[in-house]
Amino acid sequence: MEKMGVPSVPVITQAYADLARSTAAQRGMPTLRIAYTVHPVWGKTPEQLRVLVDGPDPVTGKPVMKEIVDSLTTPLTAEDQKSGLQSISLGPAVFGPDTADNLQKYFMDNQMTDYMPIIVPTEEKVSAMLKATSHKPDEVVGRTGGGANGAWHYTVEQVAVNAVMAGCDPAYFPVILAIASTGELALGGSTTSFGYAMVINGPIRDKLNMNYTIGALSPFSQPNATIGRAWTLMGKNLGPGSIPGQTYWGGQGNNLNYNNVVIAEDEKNSPWTPFHVQKGFKPEENVVSLFSGWDMRMGHGAKGAGALIPKFDEQIASMFPTLARMFNILVVLDPLTAKALVDQGYDTQEKLQSWLWKNSTISAKEYRESFLAHVWLYPRALKGEEPYATWWKAADDVQIPCVPKADNIALVVTGGQTNAFFQVGNMNYGRSASIDKWM
Amino acid sequence: MKFNRRRLLSLLGMSPALLTDARLEAAEKKRDAQSGQGSEPKLTALSPKGTPPPINRFPMAASLSTVDGKTIYLVDTGFFGGDVLLEQMAAWFGRNMPSVKTVLRKKAGTYPEEDSKLWAEIKANGNAAIMAIGH
Repeated sequence: MEKMGVPSVPVITQAYADLARSTAAQRGMPTLRIAYTVHPVWGKTPEQLRVLVDGPDPVTGKPVMKEIVDSLTTPLTAEDQKSGLQSISLGPAVFGPDTADNLQKYFMDNQMTDYMPIIVPTEEKVSAMLKATSHKPDEVVGRTGGGANGAWHYTVEQVAVNAVMAGCDPAYFPVILAIASTGELALGGSTTSFGYAMVINGPIRDKLNMNYTIGALSPFSQPNATIGRAWTLMGKNLGPGSIPGQTYWGGQGNNLNYNNVVIAEDEKNSPWTPFHVQKGFKPEENVVSLFSGWDMRMGHGAKGAGALIPKFDEQIASMFPTLARMFNILVVLDPLTAKALVDQGYDTQEKLQSWLWKNSTISAKEYRESFLAHVWLYPRALKGEEPYATWWKAADDVQIPCVPKADNIALVVTGGQTNAFFQVGNMNYGRSASIDKWM
Repeated sequence: MKFNRRRLLSLLGMSPALLTDARLEAAEKKRDAQSGQGSEPKLTALSPKGTPPPINRFPMAASLSTVDGKTIYLVDTGFFGGDVLLEQMAAWFGRNMPSVKTVLRKKAGTYPEEDSKLWAEIKANGNAAIMAIGH
């Protein structure tokens, strides 16, 4: 609006006051006149909202409507009329010299860590990390946080610093670089408390001694633990960062953020095509694939206990209707469960994806009543985007699949074959990146 | 004559662990003496931060001399409750500043999406805009 020459006032709920100010400043409008109202507005009756409108701005204390009118009519100051490029300084490129303990505290106090002790990234340790890639330290690896002002960018060396902090062995560095190259860093900014997962495929799993047996998703392997941790630290440091209230607004947060879900696929014991091959890579290629969404929930066994053929497919499908409609699905199966599904007749993952997609539906009425479908999918339906447009117009009792297409259900196999477990993630597949490129 | 210190301590009813503490203390004193400082080593660490884009500052749109007789667009960006809030704002203008014409519009698409058609309408027909943002 302002760029078009139309004076405007955003009215923002008070919970986002810091975010509003910092966003306005980042977009070139540090003196934008903003009005605030009580949080939340959602769920209030018209009568309650009239009281708010007749009352004060909860941040400034001024009568909010008078404040809005004044914002539109008060002449601009000299500060309001400034223009030009301003570079941003993030402070020194080097910290210290100081003791290791003081540096630990400095990193933590300045929100550069996950609040667990880090490996202090000395020049020596970063140099050792840099030796694990053929790419130059000053090469730009990726960009993130792109908005109206452009994106942040980060170099091989900056990624190496975060990898050292996470406790990564230099051998893991090409994996970290591949993740960084996607621009999809963990800890995104939203009132949704996002969780993240990755799948690693290829011979590198064994080269790095990644765990895909007993405790595959638990802390029993340095590469599994620290690669995931590095992703979080990169999310904190390489882009706009995660400053609560300013660039991170997840109300409850997400416990997965500590080191994310790191899945090294058990390609040998999977009866199906490895995930990266499904995405078009060759079996011998080393690939990392990234997911984002909300959570992972545990599932076990099969419906029809005691039946001749237990129904693992129905057990998995029973978990889908409770998932949020704005995300797709990631199913992580122990090899025992995968083999049981083959015994049920699913000799390809396509057959299982198709069955799950057709047999985990909700009514169109329930679909339309879903808050997230209304907020995220209804606008797409209005634009005519399929299948959302058709789903939104369907009669109340028509059954709607949980995801648009069968291959929106990702299937990955890992685990130690002690019990027939699986986990269902409310997660979108983002993209896959070559690890080999970064060696 | 050599004697066994551990046995001596145990005969005195004292723990041989005392020997360990004593050895540690002696080692620390020796190290401090060698360093000549008695302090921890100092390290230098590299910053993990990425590089932000520069801020491209631009002047704000000229203010109105008055809102009387003007057209103000009230734009709902899609957050729940924003439409009801803006309806109450429109009602406030109706009660308190009836010469102001308010036009209620819902932005197309999800929250972060632009609606160039609506922006063009506001530029062509409006004098100011109020946008409701945030839950």
